[in-house]
Amino acid sequence: MTRRSTSLLVCLSSIVVLLFATAYTAPAPSGKIIVSPAQARQDQILFGRQLVLTHDCGGCHGMAGDNPSAPGYLDGVRDTAQQFHIGPFITRPKNLTPDVATGTGSFTERQLFNALRYGLRPEETPDVQITSMVPGQGNFPLHPHYLAPPMPWTAWRYMSDAELLAIAAYLKNGLKPVKNKVADSDGPPDFWASEYTVEKIGSYPVAPFPTVNEKAP
Amino acid sequence: MVLALSATAVASISPRDALLIRSVAPVVRDVSSSPPLLANISKLPRTVEVNLTAGLTTLILQPGVNSEVFAYNGHVPGPTLDVREGDRVIVHFKNELPEPTTVHWHGIHLPFESDGSPFHPIKSGESHTYEFTVRPGTAGTYWYHPHPDRRTGFAIGKGLFGAIVVHAAHDPLPASISEKLLILSDNRFLKDGTIDFPDAVSQHGGIDEENGREGPVLFVNGRVMPSISIRSGEVQRWRIINASAGRIFRIALAGQTMTQIGTDGGLFEKPVEVQEVLLTTGERAELLVRGGARGTRTVLQNLPYDRYSPNTRPADWKVTRELLTLETSNAPPAAAVTIPPTLRTIEALDTTRATAVRTVVFGQGIINGKTMDMSRVDVSTHVGATEIWDIVNIVGMDHPFHLHGFQFQVIDRDGVREPYVAWKDMLNIPKHSTARIIVRYDDYPGKWMFHCHILDHEDHGMMGVLEVLK
Repeated sequence: MTRRSTSLLVCLSSIVVLLFATAYTAPAPSGKIIVSPAQARQDQILFGRQLVLTHDCGGCHGMAGDNPSAPGYLDGVRDTAQQFHIGPFITRPKNLTPDVATGTGSFTERQLFNALRYGLRPEETPDVQITSMVPGQGNFPLHPHYLAPPMPWTAWRYMSDAELLAIAAYLKNGLKPVKNKVADSDGPPDFWASEYTVEKIGSYPVAPFPTVNEKAP
Repeated sequence: MVLALSATAVASISPRDALLIRSVAPVVRDVSSSPPLLANISKLPRTVEVNLTAGLTTLILQPGVNSEVFAYNGHVPGPTLDVREGDRVIVHFKNELPEPTTVHWHGIHLPFESDGSPFHPIKSGESHTYEFTVRPGTAGTYWYHPHPDRRTGFAIGKGLFGAIVVHAAHDPLPASISEKLLILSDNRFLKDGTIDFPDAVSQHGGIDEENGREGPVLFVNGRVMPSISIRSGEVQRWRIINASAGRIFRIALAGQTMTQIGTDGGLFEKPVEVQEVLLTTGERAELLVRGGARGTRTVLQNLPYDRYSPNTRPADWKVTRELLTLETSNAPPAAAVTIPPTLRTIEALDTTRATAVRTVVFGQGIINGKTMDMSRVDVSTHVGATEIWDIVNIVGMDHPFHLHGFQFQVIDRDGVREPYVAWKDMLNIPKHSTARIIVRYDDYPGKWMFHCHILDHEDHGMMGVLEVLK
């Protein structure tokens, strides 16, 4: 089996699992339960792994690129060559392994979800369900602290809930913790808020099709 | 030695701040006119009974400008509560402020009902009597301040803070050593003298929320650049309190060392010679300071200290500031005094008896991923339990840890064993670092706060509830 077809299979099976995941808490029709919760969790983590690889997370967040078996996989920058110079500021991709002090170990999967969906720094945004994108409303911070560019969350926020949760599940549960303290990125005092307005990055959810630049088939 | 802010200091701060500083002509006043003592109205032995009122008033905080302030008994800082170990303390408190408040007796081991935490607000116009007995062995320097829900930074910034001095039954230091109380604070004013609290929605409000509100005007006992007189060879005992909302002081006496003899919960076991002392928000230090050659002067400096996240680090953070002048008089040298090599014995809490190890993760404005919820219990334990708390700061800004009700001891910082035993209620957790503390919940069941003592962080929910059950 090729890598691509394996991936497809993993994807499909994960989607099936996710579709049925909610059924476990409700009375399920006899014979409908096809995987155990543990199996569902494992499939979710493998789905997340696939998304992390296909979205090139390792390309910035470590020395290993997208090779999970190479040293430095997803554990953050280790030399200045991997930094990004954004105008007068420097962005240093963080350690995504679940080490408590230097990585994602203290974050919940929902905090990681909120980082990917809303661009909010998980170390500065509480573990809450966000129901609004208006600062100060619906648990959206009054002074949002956004992930520093070039983290492409503005595109990845359009992934489905299931996809983003799978990425969070993989980072939290599918990686061994590695201690690597990455220095803070620096940025403007508004933590990029003026760069991430609806006018500049568009709305979430995305505007209905077709927009002025699109046409119906 | 220059008395005024140096020219470089003024040049490198923002135009807005420079404007504010220009209105502050350096005035030399004797710090010995420190806050008055709260008058004891009790005739009973070993009892200190005082009246304390928080109210609105107008004071001259900066020379020549009136400011509307909140004040305890009309003073900023408030009058000092001066007691002895074992004293019964009764405080008849009246809230004449236009908003709810509390009085928190920072660092004092007392019953939950008297802690003055957000659980026990006192409404505008109402009174409350706080009562507690000062635990023997806790002689030291403490302070009192409001701790209302989400308004602590505002209330302290408006002027509500005062010192508590607990004298020992048997102090090991020679009685001939004179004591000075130095309450450090800072503030920020508009040109008309109004204390500057920007709109929370504004970018300036956002920076205050991030950094903790700081001001360019530095005060010692409510005065700008006062002076202390000392004789050549004289040793003075300085009790220093950092009562600021967000500023961490890094103090040094230019050209001479100091001897640190104590911290939050009183004296060390042995004096420690120091070049400088880092005093985080809410933290205290007891220092021995020596007079220099006759007719000379030196300055107590606030050295640069980078506690900030890169995004909101103030442009002038590297500027050394001056706090007060220490003037050695022309009087004949004072007689030499001998400082005892051992000040007291402190029981080191036994780590092998710890029944729980808690991990407390400080993010920015959050603890363990959560903001404060008074209806939630974050840590539950029992009276008598001994616990180790592993406090991890995962962000690029210092967060000063404070625990109500119980003094703790530091085990190690970033794995480096603490060099000496001391009782603490404040501990700075520098950016991206870890500290382990040990605490024993002696007596007093109740719900106790633990929080970041950068007041804007605390007010925005960087606080948790420790429930100590019977």
